[in-house]
Amino acid sequence: MLADPVSRRAFLAASTTAFAAAWLAAEPAEIRAALEHAARAAQSTEPLPWDVLTPEQAADLDAIAAQIFPTDDTPGAREARVVNFMDRSLATWAAQQREPLIHGLDELNGEVERRWPGTKRFANLAPDRQLELLGSQEQTPFFQQMRFATLVGMFSLPSYGGNADKAGWRVIGFEDRYTWQPPFGDYDAEAARGGR
Amino acid sequence: MRPARPAVRFHSSRTVDFVVVGSGAAGGIIAKELATAGLTVVVLEQGPRVEPPQFEHDEIKTLFQGALQINPTGFTFRRSESETAKPGQIQLLYHRLVGGGSVMFTANYWRFREIDFIEKSRLGAISGTGLEDWPITYRDLEPYYTKAEWELGISGEPGPFDPPRTRPYPLPPLPVKSSGVLFERGARALGLHPQPAPLAILSQPFHGRPACQHCGYCLGFGCEFRAKSSTLYTVIPIAEATGRCEVRPNSYVRRIEVDKQGRVTGATYFDENKKEQFQRARAVVLCCNGSETPRLLLLSASSRFPSGLANSSGVVGKYLMFNGYSSASGVFERPLNEFKSVTATRVLYDFYESDPKRGFYGGGAPDARSFAYPTIFALGGLPHDAPSWGAGYKRILRDYYTRTMNVDGHSTSLPLETNSISLDPEMKDPWGLPAMRVTYRDHPDDLAMMRFLQDRAIEILEAAGARRTWRQPVQETNLAAHLLGTCRMGDDPRASVVDRYHRAHDVRNLFICDGSSLVTGGRGQPTATIQALAYRAGEHIAQFARRGEI
Repeated sequence: MLADPVSRRAFLAASTTAFAAAWLAAEPAEIRAALEHAARAAQSTEPLPWDVLTPEQAADLDAIAAQIFPTDDTPGAREARVVNFMDRSLATWAAQQREPLIHGLDELNGEVERRWPGTKRFANLAPDRQLELLGSQEQTPFFQQMRFATLVGMFSLPSYGGNADKAGWRVIGFEDRYTWQPPFGDYDAEAARGGR
Repeated sequence: MRPARPAVRFHSSRTVDFVVVGSGAAGGIIAKELATAGLTVVVLEQGPRVEPPQFEHDEIKTLFQGALQINPTGFTFRRSESETAKPGQIQLLYHRLVGGGSVMFTANYWRFREIDFIEKSRLGAISGTGLEDWPITYRDLEPYYTKAEWELGISGEPGPFDPPRTRPYPLPPLPVKSSGVLFERGARALGLHPQPAPLAILSQPFHGRPACQHCGYCLGFGCEFRAKSSTLYTVIPIAEATGRCEVRPNSYVRRIEVDKQGRVTGATYFDENKKEQFQRARAVVLCCNGSETPRLLLLSASSRFPSGLANSSGVVGKYLMFNGYSSASGVFERPLNEFKSVTATRVLYDFYESDPKRGFYGGGAPDARSFAYPTIFALGGLPHDAPSWGAGYKRILRDYYTRTMNVDGHSTSLPLETNSISLDPEMKDPWGLPAMRVTYRDHPDDLAMMRFLQDRAIEILEAAGARRTWRQPVQETNLAAHLLGTCRMGDDPRASVVDRYHRAHDVRNLFICDGSSLVTGGRGQPTATIQALAYRAGEHIAQFARRGEI
């Protein structure tokens, strides 16, 4: 028993997408392969070529991820190399999601050309048009899949290929450490000082 | 803590005294009690053996991918018997590894109270439900709660509503977190009585294990420091050190065999190569949790036991209880940093007992909770009306992540005959056996109690000064971590599966002890009771064996 499901909501939120189903069904060996792959990529001084994405697809997914978790005065999906996480995942344990994701991207690019004839790819749209288009796609499985992958790539262990330099964690104030000592937060610190 | 000498290996052709199926919260304890009483034991565990240095802070592997959990596609679900069950409808969370759920659980360690064992006599029967008194009382079980607390290592401090105890907690409570401080502030302002949450996590070094290091990864994660009091590194090494207990991982039991006299002879299982093996034993103890135990009994149907082993009553698999659960969140002005330390440090037992004035049956307790694994929080931690992507989402995530806490409600489930574990008529598991089929619908009173506790949670958060509060909508359970009641204990062989000593009514040398033994589900934290029952059962079963009564 995993005992008390603090995270019922997130398990459910996470498991409602097709992408999540692949995660939930993946085999441990596939996860290991993904981690080994990511480790090789991290050790390489040259940027490795994309495993499954074409450069154009990578540029589109990068642009979408950058709208989902944008760069402001702090790093966003682009700096966290979320698209790298996506490519590595789709190459290994999330391989079965490759086809639906690329199909969804092709449909999105079809919509780009319908709305803005002459522009063929999402990445080539001006940022305000990217935002406008994604806003109309929020409920599509493709968008939900991209949101899931972007946030998991943003906040999971850097060894999976995203969250570069722990950028995602630093943005929200999380630190992965094995030991902490009290006080943990402002309110228990205040109580320890007798200020409750 | 590895055994001092290499663990014993029994050849499967040798008849051991006991096969124990399952090595979790109950199985680990039973194995230790039997082995230290001089009996030979083989523990068959379907999952692998993973040692604490291998545990890591990896949300993908541990929570999403669930390498050691039941795969959500591995069983089917339906709300009622008139529906065709389908895979993937809900999630069942339990863990397949040596130590079972005791490795991964949040480590809440609430004793049941006197009322939990005698609620039917106190309240009267509730029509349409299987609410029953237990054949034992709190007084019968108290010495074993104490034994569990002192052998395993439990941290806590009694509060005003606690049941009587013969010994204090062995360890003081864990340090209070900001969520606990705020919970206390809010609850006290409302005239309520918060207290430290009892936890199976060490606040100080104990029996050679270190104190909690406050890393924050309790719920769903194994403790790399061994500070969470799992059977994996408490009782199981003691059992192995006797030289009489072998824990055999990757051993998936498919059938309990019986002879012509109707006695069990051992267990047939698949080894890690999916090759069938048979382990002979004088007696068998099932400790596979409230879902796998009834499934295994049903899988063990034979010409002598056509409706399933030990199922002459027909109640094997019935009266499944999940426990009620509700969740409310609040965001505060300053950082709480709930990603640090244990999950819950304060709890409130003012609403434990059923109160006729509420207009429905039920009881439970809210606790102050963290909800702060970064990926999970990013995916689902914000209010439902907050932006879910883009600049607005990022702004609110950065604001809320360190400042949010939960107050979660844990509550009763009425035992209903229609809520059950059975065998799916169509689907097979990866070994080719009939998959488990889960049928479950929350009783309206269970849902009412969840809402009641959620209302109190919002009041507490507001009284504590939350800037904003929000609710996770109360709905029929779609994620279950507690699997209880499916081989209930009782004196009447026509209405229960095991007797008060956990012996199957129908089979003299078959015993069952785990969450399935519970007659009622308590208030949402069953592990302490499962483990107290295991200590009690282990002691009695060892006596039966010594007296030749198996």
